[in-house]
Amino acid sequence: MAGLLLSRTEKVYIVNGIEEDFRSDGRSNYDYRPIELETNVVSHASGSARLRLANTDILVGIKTEVDIPKPETPGLGKIEFFVDCSANATPEFEGRGGEQLANRISNILQRAYHASQAFNLKQLCIFEGKQCWKLYVDILILECGGNLCDAVSLAVKAALFTTRIPFVKAALMDGGDVDLQLSDDPFDSKPLVVGTAPLLVTLCKIGNKFVVDPSAEEEFCSIVSVVIGVSGNPAHYTTEKIENVESKFTTIGMSGVGGLVPDTLKSAISQGIVAAKCLDSALGRSLLRERQDICSYKKDSYGFLK
Amino acid sequence: MPFDYRRFNGPEDSVSYKRFSEDFLRTYDELYKDLLDENGKRKDGRALNEARSLCTSISRTNIVSQAKGSAYVELNKTKVICSVFDPREITGHQNEYSWFGQIYCEVKFAPFSCPRKRRQLVPDSDEKALSADLKKALETVVRRDKFPNFQMDIFVYILEHDGGCLSAAINAAGLALADAVVPMYDIVSASSVAIINDQIIIDPTEAEEHLALMYTDKEKNHGLVTMCFMHHLKQFTDFRQIGSVDAECVLKVMDILEKECDKLMLVIKKIMVSNVVRQHNEHKVLLEEAKFREEVLQSKVEEWRKLLNAG
Repeated sequence: MAGLLLSRTEKVYIVNGIEEDFRSDGRSNYDYRPIELETNVVSHASGSARLRLANTDILVGIKTEVDIPKPETPGLGKIEFFVDCSANATPEFEGRGGEQLANRISNILQRAYHASQAFNLKQLCIFEGKQCWKLYVDILILECGGNLCDAVSLAVKAALFTTRIPFVKAALMDGGDVDLQLSDDPFDSKPLVVGTAPLLVTLCKIGNKFVVDPSAEEEFCSIVSVVIGVSGNPAHYTTEKIENVESKFTTIGMSGVGGLVPDTLKSAISQGIVAAKCLDSALGRSLLRERQDICSYKKDSYGFLK
Repeated sequence: MPFDYRRFNGPEDSVSYKRFSEDFLRTYDELYKDLLDENGKRKDGRALNEARSLCTSISRTNIVSQAKGSAYVELNKTKVICSVFDPREITGHQNEYSWFGQIYCEVKFAPFSCPRKRRQLVPDSDEKALSADLKKALETVVRRDKFPNFQMDIFVYILEHDGGCLSAAINAAGLALADAVVPMYDIVSASSVAIINDQIIIDPTEAEEHLALMYTDKEKNHGLVTMCFMHHLKQFTDFRQIGSVDAECVLKVMDILEKECDKLMLVIKKIMVSNVVRQHNEHKVLLEEAKFREEVLQSKVEEWRKLLNAG
């Protein structure tokens, strides 16, 4: 990680600790750090979320725009991810410094959301073959404290959960072009169905063990990590009773320099899917609670000054 | 959209004529019905678990004379050319001294390589992702500690894309690196698999890849997996999966790909050996020719000397 200095003894301390399932901040290898999440923090965005995972700080804003669907998929909307690494996080991100990292994260997200069982693009269709909604998911990395992928995916899912797309009141055909009429009332809109949206889990190989949610120091000690995207279970994201959907891998990738023996990779991805399921249910619960608070006007806004 | 203004890019709003053909808008179900014929064979006559053979007579190394090492790989209609250039020192004051050598990879599609659209000359996100994947696959294999603070350039040009271009690119790069005598821990081989409706299809073509990633309401497994494997060390250097696949299927695919990569390794070794043999033969021919010329020259000299002495 950027600008981080670790002595050899510190590395040995981290690696040995993980070997004994006891990490330097007191967690076990399967534990996440505390996560703070607040939704609807940006008033000009259709949906937004801010997530703080220990020292990692992510802000996600979603803008919806009207676009023409791709000719090969006339009934589908579009979703695009842009990651911006703010120079606030570390001076190394200044200029084009963070570009590589940003590209990597947006690539993984794009791949994870590509699968039809991960995110239903049909709900973004307005008028088949003519018009559709395009979601611009803008991710701002305000602070890096390790484990960016997981934090970003959680924040994106939370932001998508709060995103509302306006109802179309009327559509007029005007010589082949479509004229849309939307209502002026911002509450005259429908929420997106995002129960199946994938979450990313990074499994960092340190020594002989895999850990979830590595801190920046731990990432520094690892040579290879596996990033998996696991689709969510919509039952966690609604108060109604619906059937559980089995989680599936929507993307698997490796990063860092190093190889893995097949058995190690197999154990890693089975460890990862368990972690993803736990994360997914926890995220669903807190998002539902937050939505309830908003409905009953009880919500205290924390904003950035907590 | 990034655009190279120094080149002529053609009219911006042109579309492929294929968009107006009937094939263009075929749905998933129609395409799926066409996937296999009544004998359970694929369109090109292969069985589901049959890979395209890496043709040893056509695929070869050392074909770009300017490059330190190069390779050409052909899998039926997927054609890839790769060249590796000598390491050069990393300069520039802002770069820190790096104890490990750097690898720079660039994957480029030829503008006419893809059946669905014309590729732009400026690298798009696909190409950038492929370059990053290739880099990931090769960084692990190359002994980067042998050339600290040096950068090695690897360029892959995809001449024709008919599926499995990442695995073809990795295979080509592995051959080219071996041709360039770059120190490596092991030889790499890569292979890919498509999963369509729970069926595992080895070494998919472009049409099959398209179907595997197509938008569908089906709950079954669909996806694409590419894997890069070090044969002797028995390690994955890269593993990429997209689509939605359950855990059981992923584990199954891993075993299948491991076997495929092992099979491929034999072919890759064969190509390497045949290249050494060919170079040796060429060298021998050159030596013989030189010897012959020497003899001719010698006889001429003798002749002239006689003439001189006589005159």
